[in-house]
Amino acid sequence: MSVYGKYIVKKFFWYFLTLVIAVTLNFLLPRMIEGNPVSMIVSEMTQGMTDSDTIKRVYETFLVEFGIDKPLGEQFLIYLKNLVTGNLGTSFGLYPKPVTEILASAVPWTIGLQLPAILVGWLIGNVLGAVAAYRKGVFDKVIFPVALFVNSIPFFTLAIIMLYVFALSLNWFPLHGGYDYQMVPTLSFEFFASVLRHHTLPFLSIVLVTIGGQAIGMREMSIYELNSDYVLYSKLLGIRDSKIAKYVFRNAMLPQITGLALSIGTMVGGSLICEIVFSYPGIGTWMFTAIRQLDYPLISGCTLLIALAVLLANFTIDLIYGWIDPRIKAAQMEDQ
Amino acid sequence: MNSSFRILIKSPKFMFGACMLLAMIGLILIYPLFNRNDPLEMIALAYQPPDSKLLLGSDNFGRDLFLELIYGIRTSLQVGLIAGVFATVIGLVIGLASGYIGGMIDNLLTAITNIFIVIPSFVILILISVSIDSRSSFVTAVIIGITSWPWTARAVRAQTSSLRNRDHVNIAKISGYSTPRIILSEILPYIASYVVMAFVLQTASGILSEASISMLGLGPYNTISLGIIMNWALVFEAPVAGAWWAFIPAAISIAIITFSLYMMNTGMDEIFNPKIRS
Amino acid sequence: MSTNILEVHGLKTYYRTRLKEHVYAVDGVSFSLEKGKTLGIAGESGCGKSTLALSLMGFYFPPLHFGSGSIVINGTDIMKLGKEQLRAQVSGREISYIPQAAMNALNPTLKIIHFIEDIMKEHRPELNKKQVWDMAAERFETLNLSPKVLHSYPNELSGGMKQRTVIAISTILNPKVLIADEPTSALDVTSQKAVIKLLKSLLDRGFIQSLVFITHELPLLYHVTDDIIVMYAGEIVERGTAEQMIFDPIHPYTKKLMGSIIVPEEGMKGHKLAAIPGTPPNLKNVPEGCRFADRCSYVQETCRKGKIESQTAGDRIYRCIVEPEVLKEWYANEAE
Repeated sequence: MSVYGKYIVKKFFWYFLTLVIAVTLNFLLPRMIEGNPVSMIVSEMTQGMTDSDTIKRVYETFLVEFGIDKPLGEQFLIYLKNLVTGNLGTSFGLYPKPVTEILASAVPWTIGLQLPAILVGWLIGNVLGAVAAYRKGVFDKVIFPVALFVNSIPFFTLAIIMLYVFALSLNWFPLHGGYDYQMVPTLSFEFFASVLRHHTLPFLSIVLVTIGGQAIGMREMSIYELNSDYVLYSKLLGIRDSKIAKYVFRNAMLPQITGLALSIGTMVGGSLICEIVFSYPGIGTWMFTAIRQLDYPLISGCTLLIALAVLLANFTIDLIYGWIDPRIKAAQMEDQ
Repeated sequence: MNSSFRILIKSPKFMFGACMLLAMIGLILIYPLFNRNDPLEMIALAYQPPDSKLLLGSDNFGRDLFLELIYGIRTSLQVGLIAGVFATVIGLVIGLASGYIGGMIDNLLTAITNIFIVIPSFVILILISVSIDSRSSFVTAVIIGITSWPWTARAVRAQTSSLRNRDHVNIAKISGYSTPRIILSEILPYIASYVVMAFVLQTASGILSEASISMLGLGPYNTISLGIIMNWALVFEAPVAGAWWAFIPAAISIAIITFSLYMMNTGMDEIFNPKIRS
Repeated sequence: MSTNILEVHGLKTYYRTRLKEHVYAVDGVSFSLEKGKTLGIAGESGCGKSTLALSLMGFYFPPLHFGSGSIVINGTDIMKLGKEQLRAQVSGREISYIPQAAMNALNPTLKIIHFIEDIMKEHRPELNKKQVWDMAAERFETLNLSPKVLHSYPNELSGGMKQRTVIAISTILNPKVLIADEPTSALDVTSQKAVIKLLKSLLDRGFIQSLVFITHELPLLYHVTDDIIVMYAGEIVERGTAEQMIFDPIHPYTKKLMGSIIVPEEGMKGHKLAAIPGTPPNLKNVPEGCRFADRCSYVQETCRKGKIESQTAGDRIYRCIVEPEVLKEWYANEAE
């Protein structure tokens, strides 16, 4: 097997183990509620309900889903079996809608918002950081503190401020939702335009905060690389500055790729809360609703999905990184 | 340590952050002495704009938002500090054990650390918060602390394992000192600046985490934090009502606190980490 | 027309500190080097020899600045050339460089051959890729380096191999002058010998026409160079043939430097080992008179007055107000 093949297998093993642990935690933690979780959940969620038939029906549904009368090991097996068949249980809040169905409707919105926003923010941030390090002087003195400040604003804070300024005061963008509520989702130009208008503000909030964090990291990495010996040596052999800038950019960029892998969890978390601010119809907003309604199956479906997505993103980045960084390849050779 | 402190005072970035933070702390300590009202008392109509009496207007329940903000900053800072202490101590213990003992224990602890770096702490935070019924702000802080240690553990492990084979450590080993004593006197002093920096960063991220889960509605009960103020503003549709004072000051307070902590960290980093000095 | 390939006249270069002070690390250095000859430059760390090495390359970047003087290579004063002209016509081509820390001198993410391609693109753009590859392979083979090295990343090479690779790369354009800044100090004895052999064979084969070898180990120079210059506090304190400098030093500093070396080279036995007490003067504030006066055990009152000029004695140059005969008498008395 090739070196890279071995690397993939090794990484795959680790991510699989991580996945198992994430799934186990997702199963175990909500079951640590003292007493009988089902009766507690049901009593909490049926507060104010008078129809005893409904209460009973909810209770029974949950008894079956949680399998609370069975030992923990068996419960876990049932949970795993359901998971494999794509059954995440039934939502309380939108009873009797299956959780899977709700999540399936939300996922395209979240991916459509977060994936481009994080990638664009990451790219712009890295370019700005590199330029700040390379140009130094005034450019650096402006970019760096601004980036640091933007980076310390929580995602949702910026979202709220943007919502207030651009949607409420200036009326440039819609206040909430993923598209105009009077519209029926179709493949028409009008619908697409509406989606885009609703997309802009949450997209920009995520992009701006991501730029801040990435620019800081890239600036540090670039300064470190610019001071390294190979830059001096290349200069003394007559290599032109633009070429050396390319060396530096590439080498500083590589750690930023792993940096992206490691911070993507935090970014996704922040972006989910951004969705809440704009009532964007993605996973974040659903989780907000679920928490308010104590819709446990939906909460746990959301957390599982988020964990899964973050693991997948990490795995993908690791594969890309192993493919492009020769230092990793060399390290693998030494392992052999 | 004394001399490091003297160098720190000369760093404009560190001093800027420290002064901003101290001013904030001063405000939240002093203001309640003059205004002894209960922040949860309803004293006005809903969403009154700021005026000379209500500095930041009132919220949807007609409560004094400035007073709420002061108490909110206090809670958020407390939660951040407690979370920072927990995360740093757990990370330090795991990192030291992993880096100093080495071998199988190192492999195991490193694997666990790596796994928990990849699983988003945000998710675990939600799962635990959902499961715990009555969360005080202390409990929330502890939960944040025990979900955010992996970064510190990784950094401490790297530092420790590079120190482990230095001469002075070997000499201490040969001289028959006990392991805890070697760690205390031969390892800790060398990584102290990293640990302090990690603590500052953990505090900042603790404040952000608290705000995040409070925004989701999973924050501490029976208290006011910056995240809770924003959660109320969202739940009761302050943005639609045009009541910017219900969420913008809280949002900016979080940004100022975390910015000052980041500034302190950057200042320290430039002093203790010569590689990135430009 | 002289046969001098390198002529340096009154070279002054300085570091600008943060407080805008000028610190002259090379303070009026003049020397010349004939075709086919090697010159050693020795001194303690902080005496300005590494700065001199960089300064000779004609390239200045902050905090190092050019003060005055000339560097004439084969009849052309390279300090009169523009920055771009210098890069395109001189660096790596007329004068080349082997850095002090060759370990990190190569870009870790670039294969050796690709770095060579980049150098060729700057200096020999008429060559196509195949010609470059053939030329590199031939050169590496001639120098007893495996052509396989060309297709490696730097971290796949051992320390000694990396140093020899750097030497091969630095000389691939057959520069007239090669400046080697402590090329052996980080290596084990075997690798040191390989490096010195390689440098000699470069001269023998005419790939380079002269060599400036900088080191803090004076005796090492005996095996390598024809002439030796000893530097102290930014000035040349003595120049002579390797034989003269090692076995018959004039200047007290050269004498002490010989005594301070702990390498038991041939012919060195019987020399007392003595570290030189004190440290070189702070270049920000050089004392009046002889710069070595504070550490010299033969110091006279007159040593501390005025500027001490260079004296010539036959083919030798030294910077001391005491007559060579007197000094030698003192040395002889002391040895007894």
